[in-house]
Amino acid sequence: MPNFNDFILTLKDDLLEFAKENLDEYKDELLKDGSEFVKKTKKDLERWTEGLAAGTLSEKDFEFLLKGKKDLAEMEALKQLGLSKIRISRITNGIIDVIAGSAVKTFL
Amino acid sequence: MKTTQRNPPYLFTIVFISGWLISACSTMSVYSPEAYKQAVNLKIESLDLMSFATKSYNDYDEQVASLRTELKKAYEFAKGRPNNELSTNQWEILIDENRNLLGGFLKRWKEEETLSEMFILETQLLVSDAFDTIIGLESGKLDASELK
Repeated sequence: MPNFNDFILTLKDDLLEFAKENLDEYKDELLKDGSEFVKKTKKDLERWTEGLAAGTLSEKDFEFLLKGKKDLAEMEALKQLGLSKIRISRITNGIIDVIAGSAVKTFL
Repeated sequence: MKTTQRNPPYLFTIVFISGWLISACSTMSVYSPEAYKQAVNLKIESLDLMSFATKSYNDYDEQVASLRTELKKAYEFAKGRPNNELSTNQWEILIDENRNLLGGFLKRWKEEETLSEMFILETQLLVSDAFDTIIGLESGKLDASELK
């Protein structure tokens, strides 16, 4: 008859498999979003510097855009924080399923 | 008999862990189709109005006032939803006149009467991305039916 130790062993294996699948996917998404933001910022700065040199942007415009980019980075960080929380919720839902599945596999 | 004696502690543990996990699920607001639609519509309206900033602010005073009202409504709607602080903070940054996105742009237009074409185009790109962060967070939220 299965006991609590069997349940813990099954649960441990199931959770490890679940965590590996979900965390790898999340890490890839986060790195992709971060590197895209940096790439975009570099291109923006190049254009703004050229605009400043050519006189199509004033110093005040240039400063506004730089600060705007900082504000945008803050909004992007809020989005990423929110998506992380949502991801945790999804993982939590998954963990509940894994616990229930492991219990069913062990005891039923 | 031994199994029966072990049941209460581990059942308690499972119930406790499950309860904690379920409570952890409710830290973010759920997806709102209304909030999503509001953000998409305001993005289009804002970018459209910004493109007229090469012209005199006085000619667009009413449209700007109307857009500001709609932006405030969106902010208040976000603020009124439970567990929605992150989206509310995003709206705050976007519409704050003392920051450098949409709110700051509209303030500068009013103060300077007209703005340069390149400045408008570049700020439009920033504001467009800023709206996308709001839309991206909203569309990533869990549907109410996904919560257990």
